[in-house]
Amino acid sequence: MPPVTGLTSAAASLRYWERRSEITANNLANASTDGFKAERVFARLLGAAGEELPVAQAATDMRGGTVRTTQNPLDVALQGDGFLVVDTPAGERFTRGGSLRLDAQHRLVDAGSRPVLGEKGPIVVPAGAQVVIGDDGTVSAGGRPIDRMRVERAGAGATLAHEGGTLFVPDAGRTSVAPAERRVQQGAIEESNVNPVSAMVDMIAVQRAYASVQKAVTTLDSVREKATSELGRPV
Amino acid sequence: MDPALRAAASGMMAQQLRTEVIANNLANVNTTGFKRSRAQFEDLLYQTVQGSAVIGSSDNGTAPAIQIGRGTRLSGVQRLHSQGTLEQTNRPLDLAIEGEGMFQVQTGGGQTAYTRDGSFQISDQGVLVTSGGYTLQPTIRVPNDASGVTISRTGIVTVTRGNDAAAPQEIGRIELARFANPSGLQSLGENLYQPTPASGEPTVGFPQEEGMGRVVQGSLEGSNVEIVQEMVDMITAMRAYEINSKAIKNSESMLEIANNLVR
Repeated sequence: MPPVTGLTSAAASLRYWERRSEITANNLANASTDGFKAERVFARLLGAAGEELPVAQAATDMRGGTVRTTQNPLDVALQGDGFLVVDTPAGERFTRGGSLRLDAQHRLVDAGSRPVLGEKGPIVVPAGAQVVIGDDGTVSAGGRPIDRMRVERAGAGATLAHEGGTLFVPDAGRTSVAPAERRVQQGAIEESNVNPVSAMVDMIAVQRAYASVQKAVTTLDSVREKATSELGRPV
Repeated sequence: MDPALRAAASGMMAQQLRTEVIANNLANVNTTGFKRSRAQFEDLLYQTVQGSAVIGSSDNGTAPAIQIGRGTRLSGVQRLHSQGTLEQTNRPLDLAIEGEGMFQVQTGGGQTAYTRDGSFQISDQGVLVTSGGYTLQPTIRVPNDASGVTISRTGIVTVTRGNDAAAPQEIGRIELARFANPSGLQSLGENLYQPTPASGEPTVGFPQEEGMGRVVQGSLEGSNVEIVQEMVDMITAMRAYEINSKAIKNSESMLEIANNLVR
């Protein structure tokens, strides 16, 4: 294995800043996506002792977004760290996107038409009934409770993988949130938790850092240039 | 760098669509019974990038996987059916609904459409119609010699005939319809909506019964557009658009720097 030189570590650093710029751009693009959770990027040093190189690592910022009231009976905002569980062809997924509606089979589905799961499976609302969703996610239609939404949280310290459509892939350590701890708010939506100003600051910092590393590469290169052209030249 | 450019471009597109929706809300700030809309977005698929960035590392751990999103896309435009402001007009045939429910009208094709616009007229056939000429369901026929119409909060329509003010006569009752998910209604224009699977079927009932709102005579429901809220949203959208365009510029300048590494 060749030793880590200034140039290789500079290249790793450039790659790190590129990743960071890509992720910041995605956060910004989703500044108005309901239930979106921003990604934070940080560098981790990997490699043999004394020869570590920076590698990008990301974590999802699970802070709650702004809750906006819509007064639509099928909009729900979750407070705390719980997620709604939806059924997709690829398996169960977590989501915080609470803009729900009914599908042709009268199931409660999310914005991407994925059925929201209750304790008895997909929640089917009787035709023509008015839906009331309680604090603990109990769905009542026409005054009678029909099912309770599953609200689950990820295992401690778990990093949930993103999937398109504001979905997260649940981890093995997921647990159900106790009904007493739940705060399901009917008639409201949780907006994205992206802070455009801090994203912008991050973007500027990334660009500047990238330019500095480029400078370092240029300097390192000119040292090599000098070495190749001047060393060994007869005096 | 390409993902950053594309993600930022999709962000600009999203904010532009959002501004279009806000502009339509603002344009309808004085439309009777208008319900404002809100653009909804969802994130695109993620690419999982493995930590191939570790150059020269031997065994000391592997780089963690990192997910890179590809931006955002419009997932729908949601209509917000909150109560609009009641404007007093003192016209006897102007009706507003305070609370849940919609008037049922018959459109040209014989289908039932739903509206919150209660500016009714009496047609040449003597029935109550909307300002667009659609008949209110169930049909309420106002006699030719009626000299006054009173509509109660519970929707009972009574008329006084001729000079006999002391003997009001009941001629019908207005029924309202409500939906499990009013935001799923499809807009037909002309303040009319039609049900879709997403809205659920209508529940029909009399005003002030089974959760229906009450009918207010002599008032109209204005739009539920709040100018201040729309303005704030517009500013947010505009700034987000700007920042996304900055992100494009930024990634572009990073690309340029990368190109200049080789002199």
